[in-house]
Amino acid sequence: MKKIKKYVLIVAIVLLSFVGMGIEAHAADKPNYVITTDATYPPFDFQDKNNQYTGIDQEILKTIAKREGFTYTLKPMSFNSATQSVASDQADGVIAGMSITDERRAVFDFGTPYYRSGIGWAVKKGSNIKSLKDLKGKTVAIKTGTSGADYALSIQKQYGFKVVYFNDSDTLYNDVINDNSQATFGDLPVIQYAVKNGTALKVMNPKAPIQAGWYGFAVKKGKNAQLLAAFNKGFAAIKKDGTYDKIVAKYLGASAATFTGSKKDNNSTWGILKANRSAFLQGLWQTVLLTVFGIVLASLWGIILGVMGVSQNAVVRGISTTIIYIFRGLPLMVLAFFIYIGLPGVIGMKIPAVTAGILTLVLNEGAYTGAFVRGGFEAVDRGQMEAARSLGLPYSRAMRRVIMPQGIRIMIPSFINQFIITLKDTSILSAIGILELTQTGSLIVSRNSQGFRVWAIVAVIYLIVITLLTWLSNWVEKRSHA
Amino acid sequence: MSDAQTKVKVHVENVNKSYGDNHVLRDISLDVSENEVVVMIGPSGSGKSTFLRMLNQLETPDNGTIVVDGFDISDKATDINKVRENIGMVFQNFNLFNNYTVLENIMLAPVELGKLDKAAAEKKARELLATVGLSDKADVSVNSLSGGQKQRIAIARALAMSPDVMLFDEPTSALDPEMVGDVLNVMKNLADSGMTMIIVTHEMGFAKQVADRVVFFESGKIQESGTPEAVFNTPKNARLQEFLSKVMHA
Ligand SMILES: Nc1ncnc2c1ncn2[C@@H]1O[C@H](COP(=O)(O)OP(=O)(O)OP(=O)(O)O)[C@@H](O)[C@H]1O
Ligand SMILES: [Mg+2]
Repeated sequence: MKKIKKYVLIVAIVLLSFVGMGIEAHAADKPNYVITTDATYPPFDFQDKNNQYTGIDQEILKTIAKREGFTYTLKPMSFNSATQSVASDQADGVIAGMSITDERRAVFDFGTPYYRSGIGWAVKKGSNIKSLKDLKGKTVAIKTGTSGADYALSIQKQYGFKVVYFNDSDTLYNDVINDNSQATFGDLPVIQYAVKNGTALKVMNPKAPIQAGWYGFAVKKGKNAQLLAAFNKGFAAIKKDGTYDKIVAKYLGASAATFTGSKKDNNSTWGILKANRSAFLQGLWQTVLLTVFGIVLASLWGIILGVMGVSQNAVVRGISTTIIYIFRGLPLMVLAFFIYIGLPGVIGMKIPAVTAGILTLVLNEGAYTGAFVRGGFEAVDRGQMEAARSLGLPYSRAMRRVIMPQGIRIMIPSFINQFIITLKDTSILSAIGILELTQTGSLIVSRNSQGFRVWAIVAVIYLIVITLLTWLSNWVEKRSHA
Repeated sequence: MSDAQTKVKVHVENVNKSYGDNHVLRDISLDVSENEVVVMIGPSGSGKSTFLRMLNQLETPDNGTIVVDGFDISDKATDINKVRENIGMVFQNFNLFNNYTVLENIMLAPVELGKLDKAAAEKKARELLATVGLSDKADVSVNSLSGGQKQRIAIARALAMSPDVMLFDEPTSALDPEMVGDVLNVMKNLADSGMTMIIVTHEMGFAKQVADRVVFFESGKIQESGTPEAVFNTPKNARLQEFLSKVMHA
């Protein structure tokens, strides 16, 4: 039984991988690595106004790759996902403004340290907080899994503040600016860069980084030695010939305007839409792709679960009930992390993010679908089954010809509802780094700080797609009655 | 098999059935011969439906023997679906298939089970519709029919499988009084044509008219059985007398 389950799982993943493959291009001869990065970590990693990834990390990586003759596929995602992808063999290397710590050294092999950074802390511009002592009773915003967060936690007792966690810097800064929290701890250059770009924060220790340490490029411990060696060799070369200094100066020396979108584009909703058209379209396409595959496969899986749920065989019914119980009970994001980050280690095979995303949707939405499909079948009057059986129809025929058609009719509103939920749930998959509509919105906001306008655009796009989906569903429903 | 046995269409021997502590059928034995019309009467909860539903295994007996049409259906090895093809059943609540038209309801089983091809099934369905007087309803949805029409369609649907035995569980109980006559007429014609029938009903007049034998059920037991004249005119069992005095003067 266990073996069969594992086998089915692998087949499902292989099938779904075809979906993922369409999205990933592979170069043939040169070694090609999958490198993850933080999707929004300026000045180290962020998108320029043409939606190209840039920043100190990215320029270092690009220059070294060219010199050392390797290619790479860049996977921007949240910082946590970026590091865990490498730890779980989903990716080969990570460059994401990642501090070298002893804890991380246990899991990763780091390349030559490439940037000396430290922790800074900042408050809202005009705030009357003067020193750490003033934080008593206040709330401090920190980014999950960062050294800034670790430091804040280490002094939390001493200074008596509360903490609130964020996954992305922009939301975090806005939390401080909107007075929901009163201070933040983070990497000094990052906060400084944000301030330069107009974020209304004040850095409290610009000259004195706390716990100064180094950023490093990392691979999984004991793996990808070749990639690590190439990075180190290339880094030594660009350090020597001055390219490295030029890159750093370009980001930390230049004025902010160089890197953000032009003023004109930021001042109107239309301008934002125009300037980011291709990014929005790309995000929308991913969302639609996830939704379509999610809806179709989850419906099929749900119908299978529902049919199993009304089986004559108690074991089959039990299996259905258990699967529905488990996957309805798991939060979607936990399931996504489990599949994308947890599972590869067990089955020894990479799962592309889009594949993991679709699998997550299928398991989660499929469980909900299974529950209402079973309910729909059970809602069909018992007499219908008895009449069919009394005529001599076997159970399966009676199900197919009499019960299911009536049950499905009962379920149609639930199906349409589930389709809409599936569409909305795709946004949660931004957590495993899929660049769908929500993640696209985050990235654009991180560049232009136009939270209100960008999120309004994203919201309207979702509403349009949901409206279209509802129309389509209702149209199909009407046709099915005719 | 002896000659006498081939004429027995339904043979029930020492059947018991309990739902938990509720002993619903107590050691019931009954034989029904070919062409015979047996009407079962008795108070509510006496086990009439349970007994009838056991004859096509919609309920399974706890013990005892049930042989229908020569098939021992209390034997697990018997293909119950095959046996059911020869036993028509008509329910109190009609149970027409809501997802099909009238004609499709009648054609479904013969076509699905490969008994008739589509054309032959349709021909037969139209003939049956004529027999029950509803030829004009062939293509309507079943939800647009009155109760009496539904029940006549349900009878036609059961007959489409050309059964040897027909079971009726209170076929007129859910009908408005003015509809009852049409349904009973169809059943009477069926009885006259020689169909073997077991009917649970509260229509005593109808029972007198068509029954070869009337069986009185009470507390899960057959308390008395005999010709309609014997059962209705000279009841011996005290409970039957009490039952009749109630229903006749109701
Ligand atoms: N599925 C069941 N589970 C438990 N008890 C049942 C079930 N079906 C019937 N019974 C019980 O068995 C007894 C006989 O029921 P049955 O339906 O056979 O009576 P009946 O003679 O047909 O009555 P009526 O005239 O009301 O239809 C009743 O006490 C009833 O409550
Ligand atoms: Mg009954």
